Amino acid sequence: MNNYSYIIKRLLYVIPVILGVCLIIFILFNLVGGDPTQAMLGKHATLEQMRELRVELGLDKPLLSQYFDIVRSAFTFDFGRSWSTKQQISQMIKQGAVPSLTMTVPAFMISTVLAILISLVVAFFRGKFIDKAVVFICVSLMSISSLAYILFGQYFFAYKLGLFEISGYEEGFPLFIPYVILPILIWVVLSVGRDIRFYRTVLLDEVYQDYVRTGRAKGLSENTIMLKHVLKNALVPIITYVIIQIPFLILGALLLESFFGIPGLGGMTLNAINSSDFPVIKAVTILSSVAYILFSVLTDVLYTVADPRVRLK
Amino acid sequence: MNINKLSVLFLVLLLIVSSCTKKKNSNEKVLNLVSTNKVKGMDPIYANDLYSSREVGRVYESLLEYHYLKRPYVLKPNLAESMPKVSSDGLTYTFKIKKGVYFHDDVSFPGGKGRELVASDFVYSIKRLADPKLQGLGWWLLDGKLAGLNKWRKENATKAKVDYKEEVEGLKALDKYTLQFKLAKPFPQFLYSLAMTFTSAVAKEVVDHYGKEFLNHPVGTGAFVLPVFKQGNRIVYTKNLKFRNKTYPCDASEEFNNSVFLADCGKKLPLVDKLIINIVIEDQPRWLNFKRGKFDWVSVPKDNFQSAIPDSKNLSAEFSSKGVTLLVSPSLDVTYTAFNHDMKLLQNVKLRRAMMMAFDITKSNKLFFNSTALPAQSIVPPGIAGYDKNYKNPYKNYGTAEMVTKAKAMLAEAGYAGGKGLPEITYDTVSSTVGRQGGEYLKKQMAKVGINIKVVQNTWPELQKKITNRNIMLYGIAWSADYPDAENFLQLLYGPNKAPGANGSDYDNPVFNSLFKKAAVMQDSPERTAIYEKLNRMAAELVPLIYGVHRQTFVVKQGWIKNFVNTDFEQGRAQYLNIDLKNKEEMLKKF
Repeated sequence: MNNYSYIIKRLLYVIPVILGVCLIIFILFNLVGGDPTQAMLGKHATLEQMRELRVELGLDKPLLSQYFDIVRSAFTFDFGRSWSTKQQISQMIKQGAVPSLTMTVPAFMISTVLAILISLVVAFFRGKFIDKAVVFICVSLMSISSLAYILFGQYFFAYKLGLFEISGYEEGFPLFIPYVILPILIWVVLSVGRDIRFYRTVLLDEVYQDYVRTGRAKGLSENTIMLKHVLKNALVPIITYVIIQIPFLILGALLLESFFGIPGLGGMTLNAINSSDFPVIKAVTILSSVAYILFSVLTDVLYTVADPRVRLK
Repeated sequence: MNINKLSVLFLVLLLIVSSCTKKKNSNEKVLNLVSTNKVKGMDPIYANDLYSSREVGRVYESLLEYHYLKRPYVLKPNLAESMPKVSSDGLTYTFKIKKGVYFHDDVSFPGGKGRELVASDFVYSIKRLADPKLQGLGWWLLDGKLAGLNKWRKENATKAKVDYKEEVEGLKALDKYTLQFKLAKPFPQFLYSLAMTFTSAVAKEVVDHYGKEFLNHPVGTGAFVLPVFKQGNRIVYTKNLKFRNKTYPCDASEEFNNSVFLADCGKKLPLVDKLIINIVIEDQPRWLNFKRGKFDWVSVPKDNFQSAIPDSKNLSAEFSSKGVTLLVSPSLDVTYTAFNHDMKLLQNVKLRRAMMMAFDITKSNKLFFNSTALPAQSIVPPGIAGYDKNYKNPYKNYGTAEMVTKAKAMLAEAGYAGGKGLPEITYDTVSSTVGRQGGEYLKKQMAKVGINIKVVQNTWPELQKKITNRNIMLYGIAWSADYPDAENFLQLLYGPNKAPGANGSDYDNPVFNSLFKKAAVMQDSPERTAIYEKLNRMAAELVPLIYGVHRQTFVVKQGWIKNFVNTDFEQGRAQYLNIDLKNKEEMLKKF
């Protein structure tokens, strides 16, 4: 089986996975969720109106038919309109994805590059003061709640020092930039500790390998050993760790979006859950699943680039 | 990359960031307002939450509105030329509508120019609210009220396409400017319906042009224009340059009858050029932006109350030195803990009384409302007919040990001395921090007399489902007025309104029901007020609910905002507001 056949085969796995995801969300919606008609009609709901609304939403149809409706929407990507806001879901996702990505993509890129660079340094100075200090700082950063960073950052850097916007968002480049700088910095602080700990472990696994000693014996510089050999050999777990996070970037970061007034998908998803807005929950879940599978395949493909010995079977 | 290249890159980035700030016209009057929740859309028939209806009300208008400067609330004509002629049997309301009112310009009109509003626009708009295919969220308002409208709705429910041409007996445009409503039965609160955003005038050609996207293309007759609505965190309205000659009021009730509120008397509305609505859900960014002078007013967040209003009455020096002022006003609402009256256990009035007597309202007020709320004696809030300011609920506990002793005695009378024999009672609440804290507080209060409470947290839909399915014992909730009439509160205890209707407790008392039914069809009169007061007293003494408080709003506003008054019905408020630009410029230097 060549690489293309493997990729096609993996992509075909999307079908049973989506069917399963549809089944799970359908069961959860029918078993766990409250009555969406009552949530929609609010405090003046009557049984008659709830019955009428159920008919309009198709909730009076047989369960099998309702399940097939979900499957159909999953494969056509036509998720219809939100029950709660009546907005077209594709439009809601489009409108929410851009603000989320303007914050999460730069934040993710900065934190990843920064964490790898610092990990290389601490791997180089393994066991020494600088290594211990970085590990201590990482553990400290990870121990503090994200809400504490947000509240402090917003109050001190944005309000007291006036270095950043307190909250808000404007559409279009470069208008959004002043509004996302502080959330990006907080994201970086939030994730860099965890990332450094992971990359450091991966790199330390490599620095004790035989080929490193061979390189040193041959008289290669430490820079060449670390950047050309150690980093390259550590790429497989790094790629796995990095790529698999990408699908979730589109979903934004709920707390950061909420506190900084960024109209992203995190807030949209939470609102949908709170109002039993099933079409929106369904759309976000299905799209996340599809993205997860696609990026898993991409991870596999990148393995072959990072390590030519890897063959896709 | 060397250091020089890095410096250049950094400078370019700085230039980009610094160019991101838009230039502002200092002579433009711009209101910077806040919404604490997302806005769903701009279709009047779906605007059933406070946030959406407030935004809809900036663009769309109804026949009537509340007088901006009169309290208690008084209805006055808005798109109506005058108040309606009402037939002697109280069933027929005939309105003349204003001539020369135009819809905003939009591509859906010939030549893109908004056409004149006519009486048939209201017929269409109200039929749209009743349209069974659209499932408008304000249908409850007219359900069973207008002659023939329910029949029209029912018949069209099964048709492939709803027939708007079919005449409805109770809803007719007699001519271009005359509109007639015929009620199916007396409903004295009907006029309040015509001041709500649900019954705003929309134009058929606009609805037809945009179809399902109509909710994102608001085209009304109001003071502000919004070409396209996007579900973001910012909504920007501009002044309707073709707005009719509507002027700032020159009359006011006593508290507003002074030069502060009447300075703009007779001036053409709106008084500002632009509205920017910032959607900020969290308290901290909202509060910090206000302190920076970026927002014109905000409600004081619970966690900042002590620092802003140290003595619970006056603003701290930090604010008063910047010209910030505080406005306190009671809200037309009530918080309460409801019993499930379907359960035999909770039909025991002595048990209910004992529970109310055990609940320390003073401490609850301090913990959850910074002692700013008014303890509720019964269900009707102050400010509307039916509330008796001299009445004190005999079962209310203001934190005295004596009342706890009485509660214990009452519990013994109920047959559960020291809580013996009483099963564990579950209290359902929404899963929020305050919801959970409220539950824990109730649990502690009841434990003092031996009642064992289990707190269960739910999402809002889950809680609603439990109420409807009667799978509940106690739950905490609040009710805000739809209109300023005691009927809107007393109906929470009217038997036929049981769950999923507004009476979620399923309280069903034949005496109460009979009195309520009688009052519900009476026009406003001393006789009706007397019945309302009697009902309110029954609601206090039979303890169908454990009453909490009537909340008060604490709003801080910047010194440059003029004509600001607190209101429970704020849809059209922005058109009356003004900005003192010179004062703003001076004040902002202090921020």
